[in-house]
Amino acid sequence: MRRLILAPLFCPILLGQAGPYQRQTVDQGAALRGRQLYTQHCINCHGALAKGTENGPDLIRSPLVLRDRLGNEIGPALKKLPGHKTDLTNAQVVDITNFLKDQIESTAKNRNADRPPNVLTGNADAGRAYFNGAGGCTKCHSATGDLAGISRKFKDAVDLQQRMIFPRQTKPTQVKVTPAGGATVMGQLVRIDDFNVSLRDAAGQYHEWSRTPDVRVDVDDPLAAHPALLDVYTDKDIHDLVRYLESLP
Amino acid sequence: MSALRAFCALTVLSVTACGQALLDPAKLLQPPTDAWPTYNGDYSGQRYSTLAGINQSNIKSLSLAWVYRANPGREPQGGGGNNAPVFKGTPIEINGILYITIPDHAWAVDARTGREIWHYAWKSKGGWHIGNRGAAAWHDTLYFETPDCNLVALNMADGKERWHTPVCDLEQFYYASVAPIVIKDHVITGVSGDDLDIPGYIESHNATDGKLEWRWYAHPEPGTPEAKTWPSVEAMMHGGGMTWVPSTYDPQLNLIYFGTGNPQPVIAGQGRLGSNLYTECIIALNPDTGKLAWYFQPSPHDTHDWDAVQTPVLFDGEIGGRPRKLLAQASRNGWFFVLDRATGEHLLSSEFVKTNWALGVDAKGQPILNPAKQPQRDGALVTPNQGGAINWPSPSFDPETGLFYANAARAWSVYYLYNDDDKPEGWGGNDRSGFSEAMLQAIDYKTGKVQWSHKWPGNGGGVRSGLLSTAGKLLFAGDPNSNLVALDPVTGAPLWHATLHTSLTNGPITYELDGTQYLVVGAGDTLYGFAMQTR
Repeated sequence: MRRLILAPLFCPILLGQAGPYQRQTVDQGAALRGRQLYTQHCINCHGALAKGTENGPDLIRSPLVLRDRLGNEIGPALKKLPGHKTDLTNAQVVDITNFLKDQIESTAKNRNADRPPNVLTGNADAGRAYFNGAGGCTKCHSATGDLAGISRKFKDAVDLQQRMIFPRQTKPTQVKVTPAGGATVMGQLVRIDDFNVSLRDAAGQYHEWSRTPDVRVDVDDPLAAHPALLDVYTDKDIHDLVRYLESLP
Repeated sequence: MSALRAFCALTVLSVTACGQALLDPAKLLQPPTDAWPTYNGDYSGQRYSTLAGINQSNIKSLSLAWVYRANPGREPQGGGGNNAPVFKGTPIEINGILYITIPDHAWAVDARTGREIWHYAWKSKGGWHIGNRGAAAWHDTLYFETPDCNLVALNMADGKERWHTPVCDLEQFYYASVAPIVIKDHVITGVSGDDLDIPGYIESHNATDGKLEWRWYAHPEPGTPEAKTWPSVEAMMHGGGMTWVPSTYDPQLNLIYFGTGNPQPVIAGQGRLGSNLYTECIIALNPDTGKLAWYFQPSPHDTHDWDAVQTPVLFDGEIGGRPRKLLAQASRNGWFFVLDRATGEHLLSSEFVKTNWALGVDAKGQPILNPAKQPQRDGALVTPNQGGAINWPSPSFDPETGLFYANAARAWSVYYLYNDDDKPEGWGGNDRSGFSEAMLQAIDYKTGKVQWSHKWPGNGGGVRSGLLSTAGKLLFAGDPNSNLVALDPVTGAPLWHATLHTSLTNGPITYELDGTQYLVVGAGDTLYGFAMQTR
């Protein structure tokens, strides 16, 4: 065990930074070897993903495993716990810790998808009907025009779904400002709040006004139809629409 | 500042030598005027000041008096998170000195001039550095939590460390971000962390030496009726419920009130069927013993990361013609709740922004989760999004108007379930956000109706500004466009603004010193001090 206890001192690459609280950096090669050892000796009781079974506790949630650095806790524990493999070499224990730490780190980061959700669960015919009817999509879009082959623009259907619900602004918001007794000035909205509004006109000139009651401001958001649908369409409508859009040649 | 006070503040002399404590604990029991001695100014959480030196008649003359910019130095921070200095905590102000924190750093700053008096840097060993909500004070000691799970006690006079003590275990992926609160001689601390499935809790530490007095876990004892809200003891003991936001306190009832965060696993809830007590709860505890008095659960079986930790605001009022000791919370899930704070009796539930996830409320007044709006493999469109209808920034209650103010958002996202195993861990899903619009809501606590709503123009997004209301008939807020705005609390009409270099990142505070009322806000790495000479 002496080698294991000293290991952190001689293996700075394996640890993020010095200090007792730094997490063990996973050595992927060792984790792979550790997976094989785990499968051979541990999987029956602790489960394929180390999340435990009726016969053995969850090792991802285990304070001892979380505390362990390169086997300094797991090694002695294996020797003490009944029914555990006691003749593993120190190097094998280190490999197992790398496998377990890899499982822990993966769990801690699993809010980031490891596989894309299957969003193509809708009905394309129903989606077409919604597109052409209740959705009002044809006011701005065409299945054979701007949306032809739309799925090829996205790596995954989930991105198509997101873009449909939350489109990115590709055209600047337009604004018209009419001061009292003055001419209307139009242009791209630069900034608006309760107190000021500013725009850049077609000639590139910047204008700004204080928003007094006699200054009229008309903002034209070209994407306004999309947020307006958020309170209207159902999840089924969304899934149908995405299935339909994905099918467009 | 008197010469003696200045001497006491700037030297390491003891309390006795100076003849007075730097913070008289009695201040904590009074509405603040010359001090803002705790996270919410006082224990009520109202963030209402009786000061009226800055008021509707002179607000247009309010001017900037000083600017203070944080300089934490180049010492690298341990752990992950946002390493740029951002004031996400409320400063406290005691005897003319502001105390302000970011992760691993605390500063004392002259409250009249914005000049730095001392800077303390904690050498970090890790933990997430996403924010620090502030410090607490008791006599001449300042307390704050560090991301690597320590409660640090500093000498308020010079910023030298007195002691530190652990409040959580970094090995289990906890970290610390909350502002401690001092109740009598107890320093109440909370914990953070939702990467792994660990239980939330709060602790009480002795204010003199930091010794642990009690710990209350956000789960029931095995074998109790409440434990049946989990499918197994293991799920319950790993069920989350972090304590992200400081408590409020009723000295007469001797109860502290705080909220608990999301259950774990966060998004994939199929392995923890049930309402998952005491996660997502408003909790009342005895601060001397840590014994539970009552609970109310705003989001039973949450699967959307809607921590119910927003400040439980305490005030007295009439409901149904009967005087009551009340508690109100505008919760991250978009619902507003009013409870009797003596008993926990539910009095009112209403939406303060429109949501789409609840089928109604149950007999206890708790919203009923629509199963179809749980995270799905193919996505479920949900409002509010994970950021919530409101997040940690503080609300305000104005006893003059009877309105509860929330800087809110109507935000949408699609929630996805990534892991449909029987036993997911960690998150097992997430949401992807899109559209949101920000608005300031004024809620009538007697009816739950939104009395007025001021939609912030321009690019939406969540607002991370807390609120302050005052006897000057003013409501201070940050908008999404980097403005500090004063509004009429009765109508919501904007009356004054100052455009800062970035949007507010904490809650405004106010105090009066030498006949001048100050208004202090944090925006990014900068504190802005506004002032009005009132006499």
